[in-house]
Amino acid sequence: MHYIKESKYLFVAAIVLATAALLSLMWGQYQIDMATFIKYADYKLFSKGSIDPQVFTLIDNIILEIRLPRVLLAILIGAALATSGAVFQAMFVNPLVSPGILGVLAGASFGSACGMLISDSWLLVQILAFAFGFVAVAFAVLIGSMVTNSRSTVMLVLGGVISASLFTALLSIIKYVADPYSTLPTIVYWLMGSLSMAQLNEVAFVSIPILLSITGMIFMSKYFDLMSLGDEEAKALGVKVKLIRILAITLATLASSLSVVMAGIIGWIGLIIPHIIRMAVGPSHRLLIPLSAIVGGTFLLLADAISRLALSVEIPIGILTSLIGIPIFIIVLKMRGQYGTKTNNKCKRFTFFI
Amino acid sequence: MELKPIISVKDLHFSYKNHHVLSGINLELYKDEIVSLLGPNGCGKSTLIKLILKLLKGKGDIAIDGKLLESYSHKDIASHVAYIPQYNNTPFNYSVLEMVVMGRVSKLDFFSLPSSNDYEIAEMALQKIGIENLKDRAFGQLSGGQKQMVLLARAIAQEVNVFIMDEPVAGLDYGNQTRLLELISELGSQGYTFLKTTHYPDHALLVSSRVVVINGGVVISDGAPEDVISQEMIEDVYNIKADIIMHDAHRRCLPIFQQKREVF
Repeated sequence: MHYIKESKYLFVAAIVLATAALLSLMWGQYQIDMATFIKYADYKLFSKGSIDPQVFTLIDNIILEIRLPRVLLAILIGAALATSGAVFQAMFVNPLVSPGILGVLAGASFGSACGMLISDSWLLVQILAFAFGFVAVAFAVLIGSMVTNSRSTVMLVLGGVISASLFTALLSIIKYVADPYSTLPTIVYWLMGSLSMAQLNEVAFVSIPILLSITGMIFMSKYFDLMSLGDEEAKALGVKVKLIRILAITLATLASSLSVVMAGIIGWIGLIIPHIIRMAVGPSHRLLIPLSAIVGGTFLLLADAISRLALSVEIPIGILTSLIGIPIFIIVLKMRGQYGTKTNNKCKRFTFFI
Repeated sequence: MELKPIISVKDLHFSYKNHHVLSGINLELYKDEIVSLLGPNGCGKSTLIKLILKLLKGKGDIAIDGKLLESYSHKDIASHVAYIPQYNNTPFNYSVLEMVVMGRVSKLDFFSLPSSNDYEIAEMALQKIGIENLKDRAFGQLSGGQKQMVLLARAIAQEVNVFIMDEPVAGLDYGNQTRLLELISELGSQGYTFLKTTHYPDHALLVSSRVVVINGGVVISDGAPEDVISQEMIEDVYNIKADIIMHDAHRRCLPIFQQKREVF
């Protein structure tokens, strides 16, 4: 089998994620030690053993009400953003794009804010977020292709910057007209990005479309390799280029827009995680896409853990991922071309022809 | 029994906006042929190839194996002909083996991944070209000649017998040009059919079984290389003088410097 190496990477990444998730459940302002946690899990899951009922209720509350939804949401959103980033990069044959850079996050935040302003319906907020996320990426592509006919890396990035600024400006209008005592603070804090408001039923609700789009992107991954060779070559090799592109961009936009609805704008994950994985295991999307999902989830989980545990004040997660992501991305950019990345042992690969 | 063409092009017209590129092209490609398309820059050689692969849409009839191109999906076309483009660079630096396995995608259905069998076929294709030692190298790090060979291996992994190549030797150094031409003529003798564009009349003489010259959007000459490539044709199409000489039982075409230069 040719997928032994791939399975190994995925297995290791999944173990790391599971460990991080378990530790996140145990650690926090109220520390749960290993022995108590095992006792609790034993009793809760298998109704075995004995535990002080008072302690049980306390731990049950902490885990189910506070930590579990937060951990699940962090994994879900990290996975959604990293996978979407990898897919956008393949679809536009451009390693410098991400949901943030293409304006999807700004568009989705404008859409959600509109939704919050006009209605209490959560579904409407999600639909508007997705719709404006899609409009934003379409606008970015339109600007990128207007100036030059050929596909230009820089022009698309510029188009994204313009699209993101447009929707940020529109969002400011909403902030300006919003009630300064109730709606405005809600919008501002939500936009900074936070996982702390997560509730289990909300997380479960939003996890369905996000997981479906991640699964869809994983299933389509073999086409992403071909499409990153350019449209003509992909078509000549038998790929339905238009269909795959529309499907992939829709799924990636859906996943990243919904992350905005749940936790505001969380930047940089969609850009750096795929880069790091490509450097570590190579660019084949059959591994890159699922691994991005797992590593992206782990990254956001760890960032959230830092924000909860290491700092006395809880910094909004969006700010923290930028603070962590920017130096990492600078290192990645600097390493570009200097080192061969590790693939198939002696394989020297690492050129981004930008 | 009359031989049926694998590819037939009838009265094909194509224009970019108001600029006519092809105006009534007729062309047929038969099994076991190596056909070279010759013509000056911008004569529409590459456009013709793209039209045959349904990458562009023109007016006129193109048929592959007797069926009109309209009835084919790209997947169907990929299981009849393989396209070998001028080597390109992608920002994502795949390994050679991954690159060759991509040739298998037309054989897979929507949800399946390349199997061990597909990888074996890819490795066999690399062996056939004699570059299995490159399989773990990164495609982006290869020389132009090696890249062309990898793309040829990918075409072989596609398990089709008709290869369409766009300027296979463009940008290659002298040694790689010669090695690639040798490889094409070797594959030609193993039952592969080629349709390739070229800028070099000399290369057309070396490896083709037939030469088609396109100029001004029409086929001006179509036949055996020794009949088509003449001093008159070179002067007519390229506006230079050339000598056709015999060397080692082969015709060769050599350009001649002129005292008075005219620039076109």
